Amino acid sequence: MRLIYLVVLALLASPILLMPMAAAASDDDDEEDDETTSREFSFRAGEGVKIGDYRVELISVVSVMDGLIEVKVWRRASDFEDWRVMEDHRDANFDEGAERGGLTLTVIDIFDEETVRMRAEYRSDYGYPQKYVTQRAMAPKNLPKLAVQATVDKTDISAGDEVKVTITVTNTGNDTARDIVVQDSPPLPQFRYLAGYPPKIKNQLQPGESDLAVYSMVAVTVGDVNMPVTVARYADSKSTIYSASSPSISIEIKPKRMPNLVLKVDPPGPIKHGGEGTINVTVENKGDASAYRVEVSAEVKSDGNGLEPVKGNLDKSFFEIPPGESEMYSATIKGSRSGSYAINLVASYQGDGEMMQKETGFEVAVLEREHKYLYYLLIVPVLILGFWLFRRYKEYKY
Amino acid sequence: MLNVLMLGIGQCGNRILDAVNKESFGGSSKLSKYYSRQKFPSRVETLAINTAVNDLKELKFTSAKDRFHVPNLHGVGANRSIGKQGFWDNRDMIMEEIERRGDFDIAFVMTSASGGTGSSFTPLIIHELRERYKNITVIAVMVLPFREEGSIYLQNAAFSMRDIMEVESDGIILVDNQYLKRLSGDIKTAYDKINDMVAERILFLIESLDSEMLSVTDLGDFKTVMRGGLGMGTLGFYESDKKTTSLTSAIEGSIKPGGLLYPANVYEDAARAMIIIQGSRESLDVDEITKSVEKLSTKIGQVFKGIIIKKGKPKILSVFTLGQVPDLEMLYAQAAQAIQDEKGRKTRAKKQLDDAFAYIEDLEEIY
Ligand SMILES: Nc1nc2c(ncn2[C@@H]2O[C@H](COP(=O)(O)OP(=O)(O)OP(=O)(O)O)[C@@H](O)[C@H]2O)c(=O)[nH]1
Ligand SMILES: [Mg+2]
Repeated sequence: MRLIYLVVLALLASPILLMPMAAAASDDDDEEDDETTSREFSFRAGEGVKIGDYRVELISVVSVMDGLIEVKVWRRASDFEDWRVMEDHRDANFDEGAERGGLTLTVIDIFDEETVRMRAEYRSDYGYPQKYVTQRAMAPKNLPKLAVQATVDKTDISAGDEVKVTITVTNTGNDTARDIVVQDSPPLPQFRYLAGYPPKIKNQLQPGESDLAVYSMVAVTVGDVNMPVTVARYADSKSTIYSASSPSISIEIKPKRMPNLVLKVDPPGPIKHGGEGTINVTVENKGDASAYRVEVSAEVKSDGNGLEPVKGNLDKSFFEIPPGESEMYSATIKGSRSGSYAINLVASYQGDGEMMQKETGFEVAVLEREHKYLYYLLIVPVLILGFWLFRRYKEYKY
Repeated sequence: MLNVLMLGIGQCGNRILDAVNKESFGGSSKLSKYYSRQKFPSRVETLAINTAVNDLKELKFTSAKDRFHVPNLHGVGANRSIGKQGFWDNRDMIMEEIERRGDFDIAFVMTSASGGTGSSFTPLIIHELRERYKNITVIAVMVLPFREEGSIYLQNAAFSMRDIMEVESDGIILVDNQYLKRLSGDIKTAYDKINDMVAERILFLIESLDSEMLSVTDLGDFKTVMRGGLGMGTLGFYESDKKTTSLTSAIEGSIKPGGLLYPANVYEDAARAMIIIQGSRESLDVDEITKSVEKLSTKIGQVFKGIIIKKGKPKILSVFTLGQVPDLEMLYAQAAQAIQDEKGRKTRAKKQLDDAFAYIEDLEEIY
């Protein structure tokens, strides 16, 4: 851009350098023509000044510091049109200058990016300069405009959940947004920030361009949180600073999700002495989070020697039991000694890094030994009787 | 307590002895020996002696050690001579078997009068008992045959009865198969019935001699009765099936022909008698008994009475000896006739054979 100005500047320089000669030459015609007059006026970018058939329009202030402005000068009902970058305090002749019926313009002062004070020299019969608003000024200005949006990736959030926040910044304007700085609310105590915080957005965004930043955090405390707005500050090409902000979001952090294991035991009825019984165990996760590393272990409280495992084991482990699901298993035991055995089943498991325990107790009864020897005792009298009969038989057998 | 020896000799004697043993078990059931105990009123030793081992095997209620087989003999085939010889050959062994059983006050030797073994052994054994036991009372129980059983049986009965009389037993109790045959149709059941009757009475008798009686009869009384008349007699028995039966009619019932083991008219023929009445205390009226026994005495002569107090229906046993035995006389007559017939048949046969041989008398065998 600046290069263009320099070229234009060089082009402009040559006529200015030639101007004394041209002036000297035109001095000869002065006597025969009308005398010139000069007037000063201020105008803003987009404004024009009528001087006779000439029109002078301030296109823009190119640089306040360098004292450069761009003007367009044209003449009504003719082909004359001249675009020029002017340096302040330097006369510029348009359409051969005031001496020859044209204009000679000088920038006296540049107030700011909008406003300039200028002196025009022209044939006095052109009258007073009159201001008007140009076509250009009525056209919309080229400005950047940013839209900021902050979104969370889920709506159902419980304590301990990871939440991803996406900050999207879009330039919906028609000029480049510069020096973009996104300011998210200072870290909220309700969250623990994991990665991507604070969010960063490109420094510049072209019209239509958008950028996003994602950061993740973990909900820590239970309750309602009003996430404050995210503000984007940016500047336009003239370093004017603007800001845009996202609509605020409110989040409800529900209590933490927990696994909740429920042990259900279907113990066998009384087991005969030396008989077998099957214990069915159901481990159900009634919570809303998976239970991990589930270890079920059985402990026979009373003197447990009377129960012998036959098939399967009451001790069991599961890597994961998802919420709402259950695991079933069974173990067969043999009652080798009579008595009532209290068995404690303990399920220890992990839910979100926390160790939890559930236990349940049940009883297995092993019935008294059916005293088989009583039947043998019965045999004794039978044997005695048999022996007696046999003896009698022998006694009377000849 | 009396020491009683009971010998059953020969098949008939063995079986009566077996009936005695059965009765001692309580009687009724065949299996009683497996669950019951023998109960004798006194110390009773029983011994069955036979020459035929099969007869001994047949016994059911006599213990094996109480069965004695006379070695090397297989019955004597109703031949009393062989029987006697068999006894002599084995006398010591037989007597030793008896003597092993200790001392005895009374011995009953039971046999058929008509068989070979029993009828020949019995007189000899009685003799031996008399020799070996000083104060023993020996009673022979002789079973007379069915008259139609044949001449040898009749002959044996006749001779054996004489032998018995000669060895001077303390008395003979007669049992007549012929007379008792009427009690049953077939011979087998008749034998069993007769044997049971004899067994029951003899055991009752022993009990009456060896129990605490209200009115005492003892061995001496019994001996006196048995020595009366011809030294032979029989037993009568009456068991009331109703408690209401009067004692008088019960006593009379025990000497009526229907209750006797040998046919006799007690009022006419009896020499001495002993009446034993058993019953519960309330059923026995001593006065009534005394009265009816006295009434009997006027007809018979000597009547001993014994009363045994024991629960149950009244039972009456009568023991008596006879002054005359017309039936036995008839048996002798029949026997004599049979012997004559036998002799005649033998002579005829001999003559026939001699005549037949006469044809070849002067001839020699020619080959
Ligand atoms: N009352 C009664 N009489 C019997 C019984 N057995 C056989 N007699 C009778 O006894 C007689 C036969 O004598 P047995 O006793 O069989 O003869 P034994 O003394 O064994 O002599 P042998 O057989 O000749 O060696 C016959 O008159 C039979 O009727 C019996 O069980 N009861
Ligand atoms: Mg025989």
